[in-house]
Amino acid sequence: MKMEILRTENLEKIYDDDGVPVHALRGINLTINRGEYLVIAGPSGSGKTTLLNLLGTLDKPTKGKIYFENKDITNKKKRELSDFRLHKFGFIFQAYNLIPVLTALENIEFTMMLLGIPEKERRRRAFNLMDELGIKELANKRPNDMSGGQQQRVAAVRAIINNPAVVLADEPTANLDSKTGDILLDMMKKMNKEKNITFIFSSHDKQVMDRAERLLILKDGLIEE
Amino acid sequence: MLLKLAWRNIWRNKRHSAIVVGSVIVGVIAVILMDGLTSGMLYQMLFNQISSSVSHIQIHKKGFNDNKVVQSFMPDYYKAEDVVKENTSVQSYSKKVVSFGLLSSASSSSGVFINGINPSGEEKVTKIKNSIVEGSYLTGNKREIVIGKDLADKLNSKLGDKVVILTNTPDGTISSDVFRIVGTYETFSSAFDKAFIYIPLENAQQMLNIGDNIHELAIITKDYGQVDKVKEQIASQLSDEYEVLSYEDMLPMLLVQIDLYKQSMFITDVIIGLALIFGIINVMLMAVFERIQEFGVLMSIGMKNSKLFLMIIIEALIIGIIGTVVGIVIGIIIEIPLSYIGIDLSLFAESLKSFGSGAIIYPVIVPENLIGVLIIIPFISIVGAIYPAYKAIKLEPVSAIRYV
Repeated sequence: MKMEILRTENLEKIYDDDGVPVHALRGINLTINRGEYLVIAGPSGSGKTTLLNLLGTLDKPTKGKIYFENKDITNKKKRELSDFRLHKFGFIFQAYNLIPVLTALENIEFTMMLLGIPEKERRRRAFNLMDELGIKELANKRPNDMSGGQQQRVAAVRAIINNPAVVLADEPTANLDSKTGDILLDMMKKMNKEKNITFIFSSHDKQVMDRAERLLILKDGLIEE
Repeated sequence: MLLKLAWRNIWRNKRHSAIVVGSVIVGVIAVILMDGLTSGMLYQMLFNQISSSVSHIQIHKKGFNDNKVVQSFMPDYYKAEDVVKENTSVQSYSKKVVSFGLLSSASSSSGVFINGINPSGEEKVTKIKNSIVEGSYLTGNKREIVIGKDLADKLNSKLGDKVVILTNTPDGTISSDVFRIVGTYETFSSAFDKAFIYIPLENAQQMLNIGDNIHELAIITKDYGQVDKVKEQIASQLSDEYEVLSYEDMLPMLLVQIDLYKQSMFITDVIIGLALIFGIINVMLMAVFERIQEFGVLMSIGMKNSKLFLMIIIEALIIGIIGTVVGIVIGIIIEIPLSYIGIDLSLFAESLKSFGSGAIIYPVIVPENLIGVLIIIPFISIVGAIYPAYKAIKLEPVSAIRYV
């Protein structure tokens, strides 16, 4: 039985561009189920990243509602949202965005530290997952000493280390060559299958779209499924 | 891990951090040297007064300190002397006859403060013997006089010259005696040198016609910190006819002056602290603006504002602590040799002489000042980081991530 995890109702986002309203999203109604491997595709400026940011509570909609496990999270306070994201979401960014002064292992440990998990346990879990996903050898490397693909794989492990319900990946392969992109996407598919983590991608990369179990096409702020 | 992250963030931009740590170090060294120099000057002012004339404790007939009239000699100084002798905390003491008079040479005269002393006792209490610049200290012979070099110049007198002291006896008659200058001295204060003259105790008693009476017992205690306790002990053993005064009782104006200087020292420290605050705000703001995107990521992955705020504060605190500790170490390394060789402020010597501190200032390392610096400067660093940290937590994650 499919379990709903995220739902939007008439989601709208209007940006103010020097007094000119720009409609990024024009009423999105979307339901996403647990364990889905969903890709939101569309041309540049179609609203993919905006939708992803709203689903990930990084931004507030101008109109409409967002429900997480049937609870309205649209108007949660900033303080509550950081805690909510920590427990429920994992994020993968286009530019990897690892903390440059921490090693790969420490980057992965970081979100566990925010959850108050003791160091020994953090280290054990991080090593295990890195080993499982074949990046153990990167443990002591800092972002500057890793390739883009390596950084993105570390970012992916960081995103799932706390067993989030949903991982939001914004153009994760945009800066990678196709071979590295394949390795990364295979890894994420594995995590999706083995851990039943919901993956929501924003991408117009064919590699990503080809692996989608569900593909949403956004155009001018509207879904063309 | 937050500490580790903060520590590594500091060294991410070594130049920025070096500038701010360097400014803290310079500020701390400035504070330490300023405090050391001012404390040294204040201590010298106080100890010069103590070692030249005031001593730690004085015993007189009650009321003598306020009204130094010749007939106010001690009622029974043998009794007071016994009490002083029996007190084990007393290191040395000196019997004195004290009076005002007029000292005249062949060409000039000047009002003076006459001190009739027992030379061997006095040298254990005051440092006049060590201040002799020409001739000798009182040798024990009759009718010798030691005067300040400035006074000798004023009177156009030199060693071996005769001078006449004119003074009042208790019954109001004028008394005078002739003395020969055997030595001149020079102390920290020209005002002192022009006023204080030293003659043998017996000559003073004879000239003033007060028998074997004295006006003052001046005491030096073994431990400077025990002055109040010793004063209380002695006072409790003497009747109400005596007054027992500590240097604090006798130098109220100097103590007020020292207090004022301490306040002005505090204001100087505050000004240096304010300069440091703005330096830290500047560097921490730069550090925040350089990392806006990173803060966006940290907020996105669930870092609470409080932790982000704390991280920036910790960074500033580490900078403050490093700068303070290094600054204190360098400050002490600079100050230790200076505290032995002194800083010669001869350019200002005249004003310093009238000030009572002497021309060479020996900086003093005051542990309380160092502890104060160790607490206040890191605290100032925290204050300087509050605004940048506030700016950081006010960022919206989504716009921060997009920030280029």
